[in-house]
Amino acid sequence: MRLVLFGEDYRLGILKGDAVIDASSVTDGIQRNTPQQMMSTLIANFSQYRPQLEHLLNSGEQIPSNQVRLRAPIPKPPRLVCMAGNYMENGTLAQPNPLSAFNKSSSSIIGDGDGITIPTADARVFEHEAELGIVIGKKAERIQEENAYDYIFGYCNFVDVSHRGRSDDGLRHNFFDGKSFDTFGPMGPAIVTADEVPDPQNLSVRLWVQGDLRQDYNTNDMGHTIKSTLAWITWITTLQPGDIVACGTNHRGLGPLQDGDKMEIEIEDFGRLTNQVTDSKRRSWPRETHAQQEARESRA
Amino acid sequence: MKLVLFDENFKLGLIKGSDVVDVSQATQGLRYFSPQEMMNLLIENFDKYRGHIEDLGAKGNTLPLSQVRLRSPLPEPIHIVCMAGNYMESGTLSEPGPISAFNKSSSSVIGNGDTVVLPDAPATVFEHEAELGIVIGKRATAITADQAYDHIFGYLNFIDVSCRGIGRPGADNFFIGKSWHTFGPMGPALVTADEVVNPQGLPVRLSVQGELRQDYNTSDMAHKIPEMLEWITSVTTLEPGDVIACGTNHRGLGPLQDGDKVEMEIGNFGQLTVHVTDAQKRVWPRETHAQREAREAGTTSGS
Repeated sequence: MRLVLFGEDYRLGILKGDAVIDASSVTDGIQRNTPQQMMSTLIANFSQYRPQLEHLLNSGEQIPSNQVRLRAPIPKPPRLVCMAGNYMENGTLAQPNPLSAFNKSSSSIIGDGDGITIPTADARVFEHEAELGIVIGKKAERIQEENAYDYIFGYCNFVDVSHRGRSDDGLRHNFFDGKSFDTFGPMGPAIVTADEVPDPQNLSVRLWVQGDLRQDYNTNDMGHTIKSTLAWITWITTLQPGDIVACGTNHRGLGPLQDGDKMEIEIEDFGRLTNQVTDSKRRSWPRETHAQQEARESRA
Repeated sequence: MKLVLFDENFKLGLIKGSDVVDVSQATQGLRYFSPQEMMNLLIENFDKYRGHIEDLGAKGNTLPLSQVRLRSPLPEPIHIVCMAGNYMESGTLSEPGPISAFNKSSSSVIGNGDTVVLPDAPATVFEHEAELGIVIGKRATAITADQAYDHIFGYLNFIDVSCRGIGRPGADNFFIGKSWHTFGPMGPALVTADEVVNPQGLPVRLSVQGELRQDYNTSDMAHKIPEMLEWITSVTTLEPGDVIACGTNHRGLGPLQDGDKVEMEIGNFGQLTVHVTDAQKRVWPRETHAQREAREAGTTSGS
């Protein structure tokens, strides 16, 4: 099942092909002040709501998805933990990097069709990092690897937009202003429930900028598997239903984002997430990926 | 006003000398789904509730502090943004370091009387970092330095418990260094801003097993509060009930180990006491960074 939030009031919807089915009747009874609370409660008690949602999926009225405004399906998770450097980089690394992560601010999250605003901060470049997002389904504290999948509710497209800056001042501790800018966390359009993803370690991840395919990798290249990632993160910090873990990216296809860019990501058949980029300073960078830059430099 | 949360159902209270006054009646009209959300709503609309809280404080039910369990006044803030290395280190630095911060997980928060549990991680040491905590009072996006104090609701004691020598060499290791369960003691009270005349002139003291370790003043801060809030909110939007920790002066940092009792107090904020347990019962030399530096300097000079 593909769950979305849509409209000004963040209604629950089910994505069916190119249509959205209004499922807000199912969540009417959920007491909440925010859409995030509604989603966290829905996720924590999903078995209770699933039959009603399945009924609507078969019988509900379909609205063309281009007639609604889709929102991020997890608009403000209390925890958004992103893995750092967690891929084998298509064989260019001999062994996985030590496990590493950072907390990305939940204020960074935007949904499908929203704009990524490049800040005026000094930067070497701003880049896209296409990532598999994991939606946590139940409270997870010091879980065992073999049970990790029991704690996963679903998956989503996630882009960890990144600011590469200040490399020349010797400051390496810069994930905060490297990652947490407002609008730097595009997510969605849907949460794909785990039952629809038979092998999360074999998913193609693709990202386009201005229609050019930049990132095109598979989650089978992950350095630390989903199981070991979740065991490690929850060894350190407790995760709750509706929290997000982003699995890191393969850096070979990373490239710049700049004013006017249309960025699109799609993991397998999760549905496409599209965002426009604006930069009031209209900076531009060479249109090449890390792999292309490396090839050019090795020829020179 | 010194606001606290107390007992199993996180009731709102007011500190009055060595007593707590139950003012939970003031929050009865609020619609919330967690103690944190109750505090966020109270903070955001404080003008509306202040009078009622003051009235209740004058005539409410009084309990001795020793008879209640104090909780963290902000049990799970959406954002805990901590400044990294934000002090002049008592004159040992010639200029401020580059401005820097990290997000600490809100799962780390504990309250007065709670216990810091050292994890079974192969750290070189675990340390206390006594810090001034700022509580945000209204939504703040890209504010300017001169607007900073308008966005501050109050202040509190905060300890950024830290795990050293672990992670990926040469990389940003703040996640595994800072976000452990129980590594964010806070409180006991949230002190409203009107009671803090000069937040850049506050003594910060922390002792371990009764021995004073950290004893510095917020006047030594490198990037001052207005500049700090301007920079943080140029990156990320803050909301009422979020916490900014101002960083620490590292001179007095020292190890935490099994059985330790840690006490911290900024100005007259009230004392925050937490305990430490470590299943592995590791021990470290009982010295601060400044003491170690003096010892090592003594060794190399041959004296």
